[in-house]
Amino acid sequence: MVEIARNVDPDYRARFEAVPTADPRMETLRQLLVGREISELSRVTELLDEPAQLATAVGGVLPSAAAQAPHAQLGEALAPAVERAVQRSIQKSPRTLTDILYPVFLPAIRKSIGEKIDQTFQSLNETLRHIFTWHGLKWRVEAWRTGASFSEVVLKHSLVYRVEHVFLINRNSGLLIAHVTADNATSEDPQLISSMLSAIQDFVKDSFNEKEQSGLDTIRFGELRLWSEVGPLATLVAVIRGNPPEELHEIFRDVLLRIHDESSEVLEQFDGDTSQLFGIEARLQTCVELKQEDTNQGFPWLVLALVLLLLVPVGAWFFFSWQSGQRWQTYVSRLEAQPGIIVAEQKIRGGQFYVAGLRDPLAVDPQALLSGTEVDPARVHAQWQSYESLEPQFVLKRLTASLAPPDTVRLSVVKDRIVAEGEATDTWIEKARAAARQLSAGGPVFDVSGVRDVSPEARAAERWQAYVSRLETQPGIIVAEQKIRDGQFYVAGLRDPLAADPQSLLSGTEVDPARVHAQWQSYQSLEPRFVLKRLAASLAPPDTVRLSVVDDRIVAEGEATDTWIDNARAAARQLSAGGPVFDVSGVRDVSPEAREAERWQAYVSRLGRQPGIVVAEQRIRDGQFYIAGLRDPLGVDPQSLLLGTRLDPARVHAQWQFYQSLEPEFVLKRLTASLAPPDTVRLTIVKDRIVAEGEATATWINRARAAAQQLAADGVAMDVSQLQELNLAELNQLKAAIQGTDIFFYSGKALPGPEQTPVLDRLAEQLKEFAQGARKSGVTARFMLTGHSDATGRETANVSISAARAEAVRALLNKRGVAPELLLVRGAGTFEPVVPENSRTGSSTNRRVSVTVNLE
Amino acid sequence: MLQKKICMLGGFSVGKTSLVRRFVQSIFSETYLTTVGVKIDKKSVVLPDKTVDLILWDLAGEDDIGSFRVSYVRGATGLVLVVDGTRAATLAAALTLRERVEAEFGAMPFVLLFNKSDLVDKWVIPDSEIDDLRQRGWQVYLTSALTGEHVDDAFLQLATMVTK
Repeated sequence: MVEIARNVDPDYRARFEAVPTADPRMETLRQLLVGREISELSRVTELLDEPAQLATAVGGVLPSAAAQAPHAQLGEALAPAVERAVQRSIQKSPRTLTDILYPVFLPAIRKSIGEKIDQTFQSLNETLRHIFTWHGLKWRVEAWRTGASFSEVVLKHSLVYRVEHVFLINRNSGLLIAHVTADNATSEDPQLISSMLSAIQDFVKDSFNEKEQSGLDTIRFGELRLWSEVGPLATLVAVIRGNPPEELHEIFRDVLLRIHDESSEVLEQFDGDTSQLFGIEARLQTCVELKQEDTNQGFPWLVLALVLLLLVPVGAWFFFSWQSGQRWQTYVSRLEAQPGIIVAEQKIRGGQFYVAGLRDPLAVDPQALLSGTEVDPARVHAQWQSYESLEPQFVLKRLTASLAPPDTVRLSVVKDRIVAEGEATDTWIEKARAAARQLSAGGPVFDVSGVRDVSPEARAAERWQAYVSRLETQPGIIVAEQKIRDGQFYVAGLRDPLAADPQSLLSGTEVDPARVHAQWQSYQSLEPRFVLKRLAASLAPPDTVRLSVVDDRIVAEGEATDTWIDNARAAARQLSAGGPVFDVSGVRDVSPEAREAERWQAYVSRLGRQPGIVVAEQRIRDGQFYIAGLRDPLGVDPQSLLLGTRLDPARVHAQWQFYQSLEPEFVLKRLTASLAPPDTVRLTIVKDRIVAEGEATATWINRARAAAQQLAADGVAMDVSQLQELNLAELNQLKAAIQGTDIFFYSGKALPGPEQTPVLDRLAEQLKEFAQGARKSGVTARFMLTGHSDATGRETANVSISAARAEAVRALLNKRGVAPELLLVRGAGTFEPVVPENSRTGSSTNRRVSVTVNLE
Repeated sequence: MLQKKICMLGGFSVGKTSLVRRFVQSIFSETYLTTVGVKIDKKSVVLPDKTVDLILWDLAGEDDIGSFRVSYVRGATGLVLVVDGTRAATLAAALTLRERVEAEFGAMPFVLLFNKSDLVDKWVIPDSEIDDLRQRGWQVYLTSALTGEHVDDAFLQLATMVTK
């Protein structure tokens, strides 16, 4: 037992070390009783004593021991050791832990940086966009007022968004935990959407083998964005319309964190039953209340327009009042510079101008000075007191007005004195002196000493000169010489008899006619008006011509006959060189038109007299002649009638409608053309009736009767009663004789033998006689020459020889004077034999040409 | 409000989508199935004491089990396994899918639907096999997307199971 104890407890063993194992029997007994346990114990002791072995042994059971330990105690026990170990490890080699944590941190860091960059860009974009706008200005003020940075203010205003839905989705099952919606926002079944969202998250994660815990955090579709924040137990998905700021991510993250804090237990145990979840919806509600509405109503054009509306008139008013003030001052200083005007007072009040002072009535009119100053006369209120200025120029004016000096006296101001110079009558000089004396003291001196007294002789000479110069201005009078000697007046020169009488011009000149001695030579003045008078006398123009002088030229205008124009042209040529031009080009020759009109009328009346022509209308316009009417084609051609009328055919425009005239002669012509009466019939007109007389064939007479009936319907009478049927008996005999004649041939010959010549001669005579007789009777006779052959030889040869025989006879008859157009030819071959024949020998009777007569 | 995530699993073309089309509330088109690989519908089931909203994750039918997105099943509380009664292989596929899911997320209640029960001529699953499955305590339904037979029963059953 001691041994067992010793083996189990090392301390005990040490205590009993001294006890000797003296008794070998004991030892043996011990071996028998507990030998197996001893060896087992020694193995365990060995195990415990060997650290290496012990470590192996504990290592074998440690994991399961740790797993079975109560969690809290194990954690508590391990925490300090782990902390120390980590601390030690970092101190020793920070690299190791960095390597371990790298896969965890990197995605987190990457995400954080990404978000920061997004945020910065967004801020930059917004800032740039608004930096120069009206908002920009407003927001700068706001930034300055609130102490925030400008970009913050920009973001605050420009990011317009609205959180429309927030889903809280169970991370594990994709089941919807909670869902809140903003007012007016609609969506499909949120349960389905939340599941699908998590399915899509899974899909993306699986598809791209992404191990990241976060999952899909942004989906953007047009204006809509889905932002999801992933928590350990639940995912928050926000549906945002518009342009949310990046800070919103933080807000969502914060909400998610709070939900996890407050309801972690419920979330962990979530099994699809949402009835336990209170408070979560309230949290989510704070998210959908997030929005930044666009309150901007656009650029405030209305305000700007109002301000402008206000500013423009005020500015204009200031400008215009300043400008008119300037103008007024200019005007006043101009007034002050005027002699005879003294400005006592001037002011501007309420846009009106007031001026008061003294003014000489002779001074310039202040009103007139206004023109050109652009000062509105209506706003000028002037008050002028009249006074007499003693300035020399005003005194001069008044003197001029009161004294009325003659032309020979000149008044002027010389060094503040008024000086009169020249010549005047003694009466005037006396008046002037009186005026000089009356001039008030303080005024200028009036000096009349420079005016010479003019004598009566001088006045007489003056009058004479006036008379002479009047003479000189007379047309048709040339003053060659004039003088005054011993109180007598002499004048000599040339005078056109048509000019004014110099004597009569004397009256009223106060020149004594008895003292005037004139000597005038007559001449023909070439002055236009004299030439005109002479021309008028010699040419005796008609009333339609007017002669006048235009710029030294004599012009004739109007209308006259060519004869008169010729006369006038001759006179113009005769006008001597140096004389005025006589222009007759303005006189229009009236004759050609009148003549042409006369010719036209003659032509028209001639047309009117023509049978078969009916003139319906005719006129002359612009030198062109127009005529229209009806015309029978059988009548005379109106064009041909123009010949010899001296009318220009190019100016004649005729329009003729054809018609059939019922005048007997036209009817007769048409009948003659259509009926072709034989020579034995005569058609005549007897008292407007058409009479047919003579002999004709029965056929022709029938045609004539039919024509007469037709004409009767048109109102034309035709008498066919005097026609008689033609007696053809003589011709019939002749016809029989002709048809009984045959021309015979030798076998194989195309020409008749010489014995046939008398037959041909007789036949020719008969044919000609018959043709003539037929023609007389109004019929045409034609003769058919038919060639025949015997039956020997080939048929084709027989046909051609029969035709050749007929041709030969025609030529022979033609040679004998029978008109060829009356002879017709045909070859009958063997088809029309006279006698039946033996084809081997042939028949001379059948080798012939026969003749038949046809009447047409 | 009580909601449960339910996954519908089944081989390619077993008729999951058409099976539920008439019975569920849906806002997503079927193109989601081919693009995202999942289409989510909702089926409200009224139980005696409450109403439960089944959020149905219709996972794209996959014959190749390897490409099945198992992550979609995370958080699900029940399964609808769909088998095409005219193709025996789809039963194996459904069972494999269920094993995959249970390996990943632990056991969960399910209903097993043999679909296309209207195609009697082409039916290949012997009744004995169905009885075997029922013997295991499984909830097995013969359904038809065409007639709507037993579909509501299956959902009612599953709703009861997941809300226990």
